[in-house]
Amino acid sequence: MPATDTVDFERDFPELVARLRAVHVDAPAYVRERVRSLGEPGLERPALADRLAVVRWRQSLLVLAPICVVGLIGAALVHGLVSSGTSKQEAVATTRSGEGGSTARAPAAGAFDSAVPGPSTARAQDYQATMTLRVEDRALTSRTNEAMQVVRAAGGYVASVRQSTAAGQPGSANLVLRVPVSRVEGVLVQLSGLGTVIDRQLSIRDLEGVLRQQRARILQLRVFIARATEQLRGALPADVRLRLQLQLQQARTDLLRLTGANKATLRQASLSRVSLTLTTQKAAGVPKSDHMGRVERAARDAGSFLAGAGAVLLFLLIVLSPVIVLTLAAVWAFRAYRRREERRLLASA
Amino acid sequence: MKVVSAVTTSWPGLRVDRPSFSAVAESELDAVHRYLLFLTGNRSVAEDLTGETFEKAWRHWRRFDPRRGTARAWLCQIARTTALDHFRAEDRRRKREERYARDSAVREDDGLGGGEIEAALARLSAAEREVVALRVLLELDGPTAARVLGISATACSTRLSRALKRLEEMMSDARH
Repeated sequence: MPATDTVDFERDFPELVARLRAVHVDAPAYVRERVRSLGEPGLERPALADRLAVVRWRQSLLVLAPICVVGLIGAALVHGLVSSGTSKQEAVATTRSGEGGSTARAPAAGAFDSAVPGPSTARAQDYQATMTLRVEDRALTSRTNEAMQVVRAAGGYVASVRQSTAAGQPGSANLVLRVPVSRVEGVLVQLSGLGTVIDRQLSIRDLEGVLRQQRARILQLRVFIARATEQLRGALPADVRLRLQLQLQQARTDLLRLTGANKATLRQASLSRVSLTLTTQKAAGVPKSDHMGRVERAARDAGSFLAGAGAVLLFLLIVLSPVIVLTLAAVWAFRAYRRREERRLLASA
Repeated sequence: MKVVSAVTTSWPGLRVDRPSFSAVAESELDAVHRYLLFLTGNRSVAEDLTGETFEKAWRHWRRFDPRRGTARAWLCQIARTTALDHFRAEDRRRKREERYARDSAVREDDGLGGGEIEAALARLSAAEREVVALRVLLELDGPTAARVLGISATACSTRLSRALKRLEEMMSDARH
């Protein structure tokens, strides 16, 4: 007698139980033969319904639910790690100066270190930098002067200065500075120390190709001029002489222009252009994320992923809840109906 | 319950080691027949339903999972569904043809038997007879019997107690 039973019928009704068990109601021989003739079920591949019938849903749910939760958390962590890694790579990639033109933009305010990508010493390059610094309200003028001193001390000069201050408005100073390329790196570091760097952009454009073309063209023109001059010394028909003289004139003009352009290019390669803006305006919308380390960014992204997944689940739950409630109610009603019908059938049987 | 030879009839995707159907049928046939006889109160109907039950069990043998319960309990569930289907069909037929009286007469002629206890059993309701059959004759434990009947273990126990009391009273009355 199992311990779960609340009635011990064998103790309470011993005689009755013995008599009931003595009732001889074995299956007749023809029924036994009918059952024996069935044999063994075939070994063909089980149907889907048969497969599902042996699935223990409650146990499966108990296993699947934690697996889903762990999987979701794992996916969130992978997403966080991948996205945090991508962000850092982008920041690094933008600060690399190349053979051709490139633009470097620092990630965001407050995240600058003193190091800046410097120009190449072996190649002629057009180096331009734009930097915005936030300075104290009362220090705008002094910082502007300091910036100019830094540039002059480095052998550069101030191309232009425009400072504006108005009552109740944030003040600003815009400076265009020309700094020898060989010293621009140090100058930028010094200028960065004048305030809080809000924005910094670097642009490096390679000028070697331009210089090569200019030199080749100049050489070509010089050769032509020398040959033409030589030919004009000899005897030539009048029309040929005139045409050659015109060509020589044009070549000299072109040579002059190209020589000037070549000098300008060399000057461009020797002096970098730095546009500096000093402002007293408070930096707005500085994303804190850039202060974060990779682990923090990964945690934040993983949290966002989980929050997104939670929002989707909540949305589905809200949308499907009426259907779920109706289904449960229908199942409950159907089972209640079946139970009542069974009771009625058994009562009438 | 006899010991049956255990063989694996499952496919790789259905890793359930179950005994052979023939062995289970051989060992459980009388138990299922007894249950159906008590449930229906009619020998010929019980015999038909027994055959039908084992045919269904043969068709759905792959769905039997020994980890969930005994073969006897599984067969009793099939037997009960088969019997209820029979009752339903009979109910519809009676309503349609209005031959309830004649059917009742047939049932009495072909009932449980002529003994004192058989007569008393015949006066119990089918629900009471089936709980007696499951618990006393087939010796299923309380929770298993309750699961077969689709009721709680407490309700099953209460029903059994009430049925046995009624049976005892009826037999006592018959003696006096």
